[in-house]
Amino acid sequence: MLDYLIYLLTFVIGSILGLLYSYKLHGEPYVADGSLNIKMCIISIVGWILALNSVNIILGGIGFLLAGFVMGERPGYGRKETAIGLAIAILIYLNIALNVM
Amino acid sequence: MAEILINVVIAFLAGSLLLGLHRKIMARVQKRPGPPIIQHLLHSLKFFFKETAFPKTVSMPFYIGIVFILAAIWVVGVIVGPVTHNSLLILFGVYAVYKIVEHNSGSSSGSPYGKASCVRAVLSAATELPLFAAIVLVYLKTGSMNIGNIISYQVNNGPLAFSIPLAAIMFFLLLLSKSPYSPFGITKDKALISGFETEHFGFLRGFIMFSESISWYVMLWVFLTIFFGPLTVVGYVIGMIVITFITGFINAVTPILNPNHSVMSQITMGAVCFVGTILMILI
Repeated sequence: MLDYLIYLLTFVIGSILGLLYSYKLHGEPYVADGSLNIKMCIISIVGWILALNSVNIILGGIGFLLAGFVMGERPGYGRKETAIGLAIAILIYLNIALNVM
Repeated sequence: MAEILINVVIAFLAGSLLLGLHRKIMARVQKRPGPPIIQHLLHSLKFFFKETAFPKTVSMPFYIGIVFILAAIWVVGVIVGPVTHNSLLILFGVYAVYKIVEHNSGSSSGSPYGKASCVRAVLSAATELPLFAAIVLVYLKTGSMNIGNIISYQVNNGPLAFSIPLAAIMFFLLLLSKSPYSPFGITKDKALISGFETEHFGFLRGFIMFSESISWYVMLWVFLTIFFGPLTVVGYVIGMIVITFITGFINAVTPILNPNHSVMSQITMGAVCFVGTILMILI
C-alpha cells in the first residue's frame, strides 16, 4: 500500500504546485481558456503515461506529480491538456494490456 | 500498525480528492467553474492552522470530545474494512455511532442551528434501516457477515450486485444520503447554516472534515467490495470516481427534501427493495 500512498501524495503535491504556478501566471478573473497550452500538454502527456504505465515507484511518482501539476491548475486552465494526456496514456495502457493477453 | 497508518492517510487523501471532485461535478452541472479538485483537502488542512474559538454556550468537555470520537470511529472503519476485512456488523456499529456523534455534536454546541440539526440527526437515523436491511440481505445470500468471506463468495458465485441488485440500490441510497448537498442531507440543510458543525471552528472543524473524507472513502470501499466482488486498485479507483460522479449529478439537480419527506422516501425505497430482494432470493 505504500506505493499507492506515494502516488497519492505526489499527485496532491503536484496539484498544489500547479495551482500556485497557475495563479501566478493568470491573476485575472475567471475566463474559460479555450486555447491549448503546448508546454502543459507535453507535461500532461508525459505525466499520465508515466503514472499509468510505469512499474517503477519513482517513475510513477514523478508521473503523478506532473499529471497533478497540470490537472491542479486554477479552474478554466489545464482541462484540455489533462484530457489529451489521460486519453493517450489510457490508449497506451490498453495497448500494453491487450498485447500481454 | 504501519499498515493502519498508511491506510488512514490513503483514506483521508483519496476521500478528500473524491469530495473535491464531487463539488467540481456539481459545479459543472450547474454551469459554474467550481473550485479546484484539491480544494476540499486544502480546506481541511487550513482549518488545522486556524484560530480555534470556543463559544460560551458550549457543553465542555463533550463539545471537544465528540470531534475526536468522530475521527476515532472512522479510523475504526478503515481498520475493520480495508485493513482487516472484518465484520459488516462492526461497520454498522460505526455508522450508528456516527449518527449519535451528529446528534451530540449539535446539542453540545448550544447553538440553535446545532440543536435543530441535532433533532434532525435523530430523524435521519432512518438511513440506518436500509443499511441494516442491505446487510441482512447480504448475510441471507452469502451466509456470512465477514467481508473476507463475502469476497470469497463472490469469487465463486459472481458479484452480489447482479444477484441482489435491490440490496445494492439500498446501500447506494445510504451513499447518496451521506454525500454532500444530498437531497436526504437534512442535518446539513443550508437553512441550518452548517448544521451540527456550525459552532465547531479551527482544528475542531479540521478534524470533522478529516473524518468526513475518511467516511466517504470507507463507505465507497465497502459498497464496491460487498457488491462488486474482489476488485483491483484500478477497479476501486474507477468505481469510486463513477459513484462520486453519479451522486454529484443527482445532488446538483435535486433540491433538499424536507425532513419528513426525506425519512419517508428512504424508508419506502428501503422497504420496496427489501421485499423485492426477499422475493428474488425465494423465487
